[in-house]
Amino acid sequence: MTKGKELSTWLDKVLSELEGIEFRRKSSRRLRVDVAADALPALLELLRGRASYVHLSAISCVDWPDDGAFELVYHVWSYELQSLVSAHTRIPREPGVYISVYDIYTPAAFFERDIHEMFGVYFEGSPDMSKFILTEWDGPPPMRKDFDSEAWVNDHFDWQDYNPEWLKEIVAQGGGIAIRPDEQRFSRK
Amino acid sequence: MRPENYETQRQPPSHEYELNIGPNHPGIEGNYAFKLRLHGDEVIEGRADAGYLHRGFEKLMEGRLWIQNLAITPRICVPDPVPMEISYCLAVEDLCGLEVPERAKWLRVLQAELSRLAAHLFTFGGHAATTGMYTPMFWGMADRDLILDLFEELCGGRVYHIYNIPGGVRRDMPPGFIERVSNTIDYLESRLPDYDNLMFRNRVFVKRARGVGVISQQHALDWAVTGPNLRATGLAFDVRRDDPYLVYDQLDFDIVTEDAGDAWARALVRRKELFESIKIIRQVLAKLPEIEGPIRCPIPNPLAWNVPAGSTYVRMESSKGELAWYVVSNGGEKPYRTHVRGPSQMHAVQVLEKLSVGCRIEDVAQIMFSLDACPPEVDR
Repeated sequence: MTKGKELSTWLDKVLSELEGIEFRRKSSRRLRVDVAADALPALLELLRGRASYVHLSAISCVDWPDDGAFELVYHVWSYELQSLVSAHTRIPREPGVYISVYDIYTPAAFFERDIHEMFGVYFEGSPDMSKFILTEWDGPPPMRKDFDSEAWVNDHFDWQDYNPEWLKEIVAQGGGIAIRPDEQRFSRK
Repeated sequence: MRPENYETQRQPPSHEYELNIGPNHPGIEGNYAFKLRLHGDEVIEGRADAGYLHRGFEKLMEGRLWIQNLAITPRICVPDPVPMEISYCLAVEDLCGLEVPERAKWLRVLQAELSRLAAHLFTFGGHAATTGMYTPMFWGMADRDLILDLFEELCGGRVYHIYNIPGGVRRDMPPGFIERVSNTIDYLESRLPDYDNLMFRNRVFVKRARGVGVISQQHALDWAVTGPNLRATGLAFDVRRDDPYLVYDQLDFDIVTEDAGDAWARALVRRKELFESIKIIRQVLAKLPEIEGPIRCPIPNPLAWNVPAGSTYVRMESSKGELAWYVVSNGGEKPYRTHVRGPSQMHAVQVLEKLSVGCRIEDVAQIMFSLDACPPEVDR
C-alpha cells in the first residue's frame, strides 16, 4: 500500500493547493470535499483520471429550501486507495439546472434521471431525462421539501368513511378501532 | 403494462417486433417490466421499466421518527433485508457517535451472514429455474426456510426481522440457539455437493449459462457493477474486507472470484460464497460464548430523540453488492433526508439494458436472474 499512501498524500496536497475547495478527512477512508458548482466536474475528472477514483457509488440530492439551494453529493470510491470521497456542491434551487457528469462516470445517468424525477433538477447533457418510476405522475417533484404528501392526498382524493357492517356491530357492543388516525401521535406529519 | 408503455415505434421496420416482459415474470424477484425490441429471436434493444414497487420510502422516512423508520428499512429489499436495517442503524450510530457493544456487533454479523445464505439460496435456485430446472429452486426455497426458522426463533419475524436498533440489537439469543444454528449450518454444508451435482455438473445448465451475458472487468468498473457480479469478472473486491464494518476485520474468509464474467461465473461465485458464509458463521458461533456484556448501549428516549446535525455515508456488502445509505440530520427528531443506494439500481437498469442487446430471447430471464437484481431496491 506504499503506492496508495503516496497517491493519497499527493491528493491531499493537490486538494489543499486548489482554490475554492475545502476538504476534511473524517476518517482514514472518508474524505469530505466542499466545492463550487462550476468546479465540480473538473474535480471529478481529477479524481477519476489522476487519483484512481473510478467507482461512482451514488449521487445524493438534498433540498434546502431555506437556503434556496439543492445540495448534490457525489460519492466516489477508489479501489486502489480504499477511500471514499464525498464531493458536496450547492446549486440554486431556481432554475435547478446543472451539468451532467455522464461523460466522466457512466452510472451517473441513473442517478441524474432519478434526481430529475424526484427533485426536478435538470441535468444538461444527461442521456435520458425521461420518467422512470413515476410514469403516471403529473404533480410537482415529490421529494422536494415543499411538497406536502398529506395536502396532496386531501386535494386529489376523497376520504371514504370506513364503517363496514362488522365494525358497526363491534361498536354497538362498546368496542371499535383503538386509536383513531387523527389521534395517533407520531404517524402523521 | 401501463398505457404509455404500449406505445409502439412510429414506423418500425417490418422485420422487427416488440415484446413486453413483465411486470410479473420469472426473471426477477419482484415486479419489474422489461420492454424488448426483437428481430426474430434476437434482442435489438431492451428498456427497463420500474415503478411497480415504488412506495416512496425515502419520503416516508422524512415524516417519521428515527426509531419508527426501522420498520421501513427492511422492506426496501425483500430477499435480503438484514443489511438494510444494519446499515441504517450504522448510519444513525455514526451521526450520534454511539459506541456499539462488542456482543451486538457479533450478533449482527451472524444475522447478516445467515441472511446472505438465505438470499444466495433463493437466487441461484431462481437462476436454475430460468433455464428450465425447477428442482434447485424447490431445494433452495426449502433450505432457505430452515434459516427463516432460525430468524423466527431469534426475533419473531421470518422475512422482516427489525432485530437491530441504533445502539445494538433488541434481544439476546434464546438458550440453545448456537447449537441449532450450528446444526442447520452443518446440514446446509452437507447439501452443497447435492447442489453441485444437480446444477453445476448438469450439462443443460452449463450449456445454457456459459457465455451468456458476459461482462468484462473494464465494463464492470465503468458501469459500477458491484458484489458477486463484479467478483465474477475477476476483481477481488468486497466491502467486508476493503472497507470493513462491524467485526469483519477480525474474521477469516476468502473473497471468491471467477474470471469469465458470464452468467455461469456469477452463479459459481454465489455457490462458493455460500461456503464462505458458512465459514464466517462457524467463527462467529465459536466466538459468541466468549463475549459477554450488554447487547446494546443506552440510547436517549427514542420517542423524543434529536439526532445531532450532520451527514454520513455508510456502505455495506449485501448479497447483491454494494449497499449504501446517505443520511442527513438537521438536529431534529426525524431524518432530514435519507437516500438509499441499492446495488440493483445499477444492475437492473443500465447493465441489464446493455447486456440484453444481441442476446436471444430465451436468455433474457436468465441474465436478469444471474445479475440478482432486486426491484424494490430500484423503486424504493
